[in-house]
Amino acid sequence: MSDDSFDVIVAGAGPAGSACAYALAREGKNVLLLERGDSAGAKNVSGGRLYTYALELLEPGMYLRAPLQRRIVREQVMLVEGRRATTLDVADPAWGEGVPQSHSVVRASLDAWFASEAEAAGAVFASGMRVDGLIEENGRIAGIRVGEDEMRADVVVAADGVNSLLAQQAGLFPDVEARAVGVGVKETIELPDSVINARFGVTGEEGVARVAIGCTEGISGGGFLYTNKGSLSLGIVFNPEQAAANGRQIQEIFQDFKEQPSIAALIDGGTSVEYGAHLVPEIGYHGIPKRLHREGMLVIGDAARFGINTGLVIRGMDLAIVSGLAAARAILQEGTPTGPAYLSQLEELALLPTMRAYAEFHGIFGISRIFREYPALANQALGFMFNVDGKVPPPMLKKLLAVVKENVTFRQLAADAWKGYRSV
Amino acid sequence: MAGIFVFSEDPALARQLLTPGLELKAALDQPLVALTPSRDEAQTLAGLGADRVVVLEGPGTPEALAPAVAALVAQAGVVLVGGTLRGKHLAAHVAAALNAGLTTDAKTIRAEGGRLETTRILYGGLAVCEESLALPAVATIPQRTFPPPAPTGASAPVEAAAVTADPRVEVLSTTPVAGEGVDIGAAPRLVAVGRGFGAKADLDLAVDLAGALKAELACTRGIAEDEHWLPVERYIGISGQTVKPELYVAAGLSGQVQHMVGCRESKVIVAINKDERAPIFEAADYGIVGDLYTVLPLLTAALKA
Amino acid sequence: MPNILVCYKWVLDEQDIKVRPDDLSLDASRAKGKISDFDRNAIEAASLLVEAQGGNVDALAFGTQALKLSVKDVLSRGPNRLTWIGDASAEGADAFVVANVLAAAIRKAGPYDLILCGEGSSDMFFQQTPVRLAALLGLPCVTFVQKMTWADGVLTATRKLPDCTEEVRVAGPAVVSVLGEMNKPRIPSLKQVLGAAKKPSEELPLSSLGLAPGDLEPRAVRGTPKGFLMNRRNIVYKESDAAANVAQLVASLKAEGL
Ligand SMILES: Cc1cc2nc3c(=O)[nH]c(=O)nc-3n(C[C@H](O)[C@H](O)[C@H](O)COP(=O)(O)OP(=O)(O)OC[C@H]3O[C@@H](n4cnc5c(N)ncnc54)[C@H](O)[C@@H]3O)c2cc1C
Ligand SMILES: Cc1cc2nc3c(=O)[nH]c(=O)nc-3n(C[C@H](O)[C@H](O)[C@H](O)COP(=O)(O)OP(=O)(O)OC[C@H]3O[C@@H](n4cnc5c(N)ncnc54)[C@H](O)[C@@H]3O)c2cc1C
Ligand SMILES: Nc1ncnc2c1ncn2[C@@H]1O[C@H](COP(=O)(O)O)[C@@H](O)[C@H]1O
Repeated sequence: MSDDSFDVIVAGAGPAGSACAYALAREGKNVLLLERGDSAGAKNVSGGRLYTYALELLEPGMYLRAPLQRRIVREQVMLVEGRRATTLDVADPAWGEGVPQSHSVVRASLDAWFASEAEAAGAVFASGMRVDGLIEENGRIAGIRVGEDEMRADVVVAADGVNSLLAQQAGLFPDVEARAVGVGVKETIELPDSVINARFGVTGEEGVARVAIGCTEGISGGGFLYTNKGSLSLGIVFNPEQAAANGRQIQEIFQDFKEQPSIAALIDGGTSVEYGAHLVPEIGYHGIPKRLHREGMLVIGDAARFGINTGLVIRGMDLAIVSGLAAARAILQEGTPTGPAYLSQLEELALLPTMRAYAEFHGIFGISRIFREYPALANQALGFMFNVDGKVPPPMLKKLLAVVKENVTFRQLAADAWKGYRSV
Repeated sequence: MAGIFVFSEDPALARQLLTPGLELKAALDQPLVALTPSRDEAQTLAGLGADRVVVLEGPGTPEALAPAVAALVAQAGVVLVGGTLRGKHLAAHVAAALNAGLTTDAKTIRAEGGRLETTRILYGGLAVCEESLALPAVATIPQRTFPPPAPTGASAPVEAAAVTADPRVEVLSTTPVAGEGVDIGAAPRLVAVGRGFGAKADLDLAVDLAGALKAELACTRGIAEDEHWLPVERYIGISGQTVKPELYVAAGLSGQVQHMVGCRESKVIVAINKDERAPIFEAADYGIVGDLYTVLPLLTAALKA
Repeated sequence: MPNILVCYKWVLDEQDIKVRPDDLSLDASRAKGKISDFDRNAIEAASLLVEAQGGNVDALAFGTQALKLSVKDVLSRGPNRLTWIGDASAEGADAFVVANVLAAAIRKAGPYDLILCGEGSSDMFFQQTPVRLAALLGLPCVTFVQKMTWADGVLTATRKLPDCTEEVRVAGPAVVSVLGEMNKPRIPSLKQVLGAAKKPSEELPLSSLGLAPGDLEPRAVRGTPKGFLMNRRNIVYKESDAAANVAQLVASLKAEGL
């Protein structure tokens, strides 16, 4: 190897890039992993729940080394209507055992760990290095530019996240369309573990993941809350176009969510230590660009818009890791064209098939009433049933029908049911 | 081992040092000796409670003064030095010569149990800590930490000691710093500017505001040291001035701790910054999130109205 | 061509340190390390000097094992070789101890024509180490330097004093402390970072320096730091209408009697 060339250059040390660099370095490839942040994870916002099957695919037992926070044993769904909330709590201690499972994670430590794993496996890691552009030669990608410096490689892997500059420069796909992405904001709130355990009904290493629907003022999106060690991750993901149309700012919606009494009680007394906003690929399979490779270049993770959001489950980090592994495997298959090999690895590792399975799911978010009227309906109906004021109650069925009518027409209900059915 | 020695080439600071000097004299029962490079100043110090005053005659460079002072204080219990740049160099040299501990910029100082107990700041002003020093001990003390003592009416003997130049360090030229002689520390109101100002000419916006508020202009280190837009004596912070005005208006400065440590005892702090998450807002009583180029003219006009 | 040593300290970034409001203790659990601010200026000054006229730059640091994290950063800024002493005792060291350790290491690794330091460390800001170091090594020391040149074994430097600046000339070897305004430290390029990985760095055990126990005993013993808590009203006007904000501020100042 000469001084300014590598077998592979991976741009971006998020889960996708580090997984890819790790898998390649482990096999003796000369890999350069570049991160623009001062450290890996320095700029990453995502709230954190990681499905461990992905790390297990990369290397059995690897998840045991990872800086995971709490294993999720309770899943909660919270339906919000103004100050009211109805919360469904699903608990299963078995969720925390073996693989697969999921854990809350803090990106600053997870990403730093992941990059250091790649480094320990033999990759050269450099942070504070923003890849500014690609070197193109005879129609193929031959390397990258960082400031004044050029560096060459047989393959460049674009792992630079949802707003992938490199994929755009390579002409693989246009600028991010507003429709295809959501905006996520997240705050990390520190609280003593004893308080977290008591408030969430968990012990020691166990944790809770909560999603909230109805907290976005009718805008497509939802909230999330994860318990970490010594902190909570609280956030909201929503459609920026609709928010803009409603004249609402991210911070305002998020602030209201934090002040919602059922959330406020959980974060009370905590100190906010971190806050950030980031884009999220939103529309699933239909959002994946047509071309994910060129000669000399592969696109992985959020850069390839791999993401699943069912409303109850947000997946991105696991898909990022799996795609990183797929790219590494493709590069390691000497003698076959790397691009097509990458696509077939994405099939083999079940990434694309999984995304196809959820392909129409996004349609559910087309039902705008999910974000306001239906949570309201649930709260009002249950509220009525729990209400005892010493007076003669109205006939139950009549009242419930009235509650429904107050929120939706029966035509809307039927249309939404049909739309929902078709999406799932 | 005997003697509390104080030194500063800055007349005001030299007088202030006598206040903790007198306390240590009482606590340790050792004579108080003032060292000064100025014969005129020696008379004043002799009337403020020093038992003896020594005039250091010769060059005033740190490398010349330091060994001379080190020789005079060889038997000292405590040496207090005014915390100017010259004083800091000198104090470190003296401490090295005595194999002694040295507290930099002591905020409080007392003798207890045969040791010197001091407090000072750490991490640019984020925290305070105590330091406990075996005797002999050295400390530097910033301006205005202590008031000067009252005249005693008596006059202590004044002697002279010779200072010889360090032949290894040759002074080729001396350029006086063009100061305006303002005492920022005495101003009741300050308008402080930072890197949010894009050009020197833009400081006029702050000058106008200062005019409307009858305030003096202050700044962050970068404005004085890197840009040279304002004289060094106007910058506030750990390595600059410490002020306690009734009103401190901070415009286009981020409010890093190294700056705030110099003004955080102001009565009312007002921040103007376009970044809502700038640390200055945590340190301020009132703040406006906005572009200073819009806000300052409006504020000036509103105050004049 | 000068043989230069730069002494740098690896410190916690004070911007990441939080004060716990209940007991005012410091929470440094999120704090990352950095090369002390003004030491970056010292490293830059040394690198610029040898890049212009040849010579060699070495780096030296005393700290805990966390110093390992600094290796790549410091070597990508120019120095050719690093010697570091990692020992837990560095945590409570005062400038007396630091200077003893650095002087002992320099006696082993030296001699150097020029020893550069920062004007003060970002965490402790003792502003003592260079002068003490010079005293221990019997060298002249020029402090608070704004500008310097080197020719034929002679340093010409402009230093800051309270009332003036002085241009001074010293024949090497000498110790110099540099001010932050001296230069703008580089942001290492990719090639400089990759090159750093190939440069030698050596850890010297503290025990190998032949220091007596008394040399390692701080003369100034630090107590537990207590954070300073800002207790301010924190009323922030942030409407999009600047005039409305100004009006509210003026009303508040009037209410304060200002
Ligand atoms: C609020 C929010 C909540 C989320 N919650 C979850 C969740 O609970 N579970 C889950 O699985 N997923 C979640 N996601 C999605 C998840 O964060 C992403 O899918 C995942 O981070 C993708 O990983 P990646 O490595 O592809 O990209 P990223 O994590 O975005 O990493 C890209 C890296 O590349 C670097 N980079 C960018 N440009 C350059 C350049 N030019 N040169 C060098 N480096 C560059 C960036 O600094 C970054 O470190 C969430 C996202 C958001 C915004
Ligand atoms: C050991 C040490 C000692 C130091 N000592 C001192 C000291 O004594 N004094 C000192 O001041 N500093 C000192 N510093 C430096 C200090 O850490 C900060 O870097 C410095 O105070 C920042 O200066 P600033 O606020 O002018 O610039 P910046 O930190 O760059 O802040 C500029 C601010 O202006 C805002 N802004 C930009 N444009 C606009 C606009 N149009 N309208 C409104 N707002 C705008 C920005 O949001 C930003 O918050 C020291 C540092 C160290 C390491
Ligand atoms: N532990 C250390 N290791 C190496 N150099 C140091 C160390 N501590 C201080 N220095 C140097 O001495 C200068 C002044 O530090 P201080 O006396 O701590 O303010 C720093 O800018 C460094 O150049």
